[in-house]
Amino acid sequence: MLVTLDPRDERPLYLQIVDQVRRALLVGTLRAEDPLPSVRELAGELVINPRTVSQAYGELEKEGVIYVRRGQGTFVSPTIHPDRQERRAIVRGVAERALLEARRNGLGVEELVTMIEEVAAEDRGAA
Amino acid sequence: MTHPDSDVGEFAVATHGLSKRYGRKLALDEVELRVPEGSVYVLVGVNGAGKSTLFKTLMNLERPDTGAAEVFGLDTGGSGPEVRAQIGYVPERQEAPYRYMSCARLLRHAAAFYPAWDHAYADHLARALGVPPEQRVGGLSKGETRRLQLVMALAHRPALLLFDEPMDGLDPLVRRRALALLAEHLADAPTTVVISTHHVQELESLADHVGVLRGGRLVAQMSRDDLQRTVRTYELEAPEGWEVPKDLHATALRRSSTGRDMRCTLVGEERDITGRLLAAGARVRGSSTLALEDAALAFLPEEPS
Repeated sequence: MLVTLDPRDERPLYLQIVDQVRRALLVGTLRAEDPLPSVRELAGELVINPRTVSQAYGELEKEGVIYVRRGQGTFVSPTIHPDRQERRAIVRGVAERALLEARRNGLGVEELVTMIEEVAAEDRGAA
Repeated sequence: MTHPDSDVGEFAVATHGLSKRYGRKLALDEVELRVPEGSVYVLVGVNGAGKSTLFKTLMNLERPDTGAAEVFGLDTGGSGPEVRAQIGYVPERQEAPYRYMSCARLLRHAAAFYPAWDHAYADHLARALGVPPEQRVGGLSKGETRRLQLVMALAHRPALLLFDEPMDGLDPLVRRRALALLAEHLADAPTTVVISTHHVQELESLADHVGVLRGGRLVAQMSRDDLQRTVRTYELEAPEGWEVPKDLHATALRRSSTGRDMRCTLVGEERDITGRLLAAGARVRGSSTLALEDAALAFLPEEPS
């Protein structure tokens, strides 16, 4: 799993990390029982405060996505079902960002939803 | 997170009414610095705002005229040596002592002063930062001197790091490597960092507390979360000729040619600000957070150009 942070993303950094782990699970680059980078590794690699990484891992642990094996590191839970909760969390994030962008452009929810369907239909037609 | 005092408990550094005058210039003016233990505290301010004087006072290299400074509860004036033993200091000035020694020898020399000196770690840092071991200290470039100072400050794993423009003179690649080493350092051991820099954006993801010095006065001091929550850019729709109420102290003000669209940076809770703008006759179309550096700039008055 490769974590990349977007400096233009307004969400707190720890949430960005949480989302990237979720995304990796969904896409399949991260699977049950896979090890995650240590707090130290990820902090050094991304040049971020180790507390931020700990905060992200704490959140994922609370949600049961990952677990800590004493002295060995952090791993993806063996019972992870990325199709349910992860999918929902990611869709929600995408929707929130789209809505924010729409509002900034003075657009309403219906307009946005209609246009998403329109563009998707065009894409299907082109493919 | 709204109560930085309660979840951190102790302050690694605290100053009380700290003032220092050089001739007619007030370098520090009643400074009440509070650095929570374990935080990465970034000190922002233009040249001459008092950042270096503040660092020197904490190191007891300068005596305050009035007020006091504490490091881990110890008075810096009364317990200078005990305090300094717990600090890794990188001064702004680029002078290394013992110019005749080789870098390797200077590091061994420094090790003798610190019981906690970690030789293997010092070697690792020196290699990672590219400090030439056989080179004489006196023959080092500005950047190499800086790298040597960073190794010396980190290798005894002090509880407090005081970094005064630590990246000055380093090229971009080394800067990034130095910051990555610092991030790893913080993961290894609980450390408090006070760091001043002209490149706040480099510390964007490391900083969790911010202090803004202006003309010797600490005009803002808060957690990074509070800073980014309360300093926001507002997009406004307003009647032509409308002005932002003076008491809101708008900065970075821009308006469209028609005057109906405005954008400015305001400090305060979003709901309160939105309400006050509405009451004054402007509609808030949206607001967004700022990068750390831009948020800190909201506390510095704009210089007339």
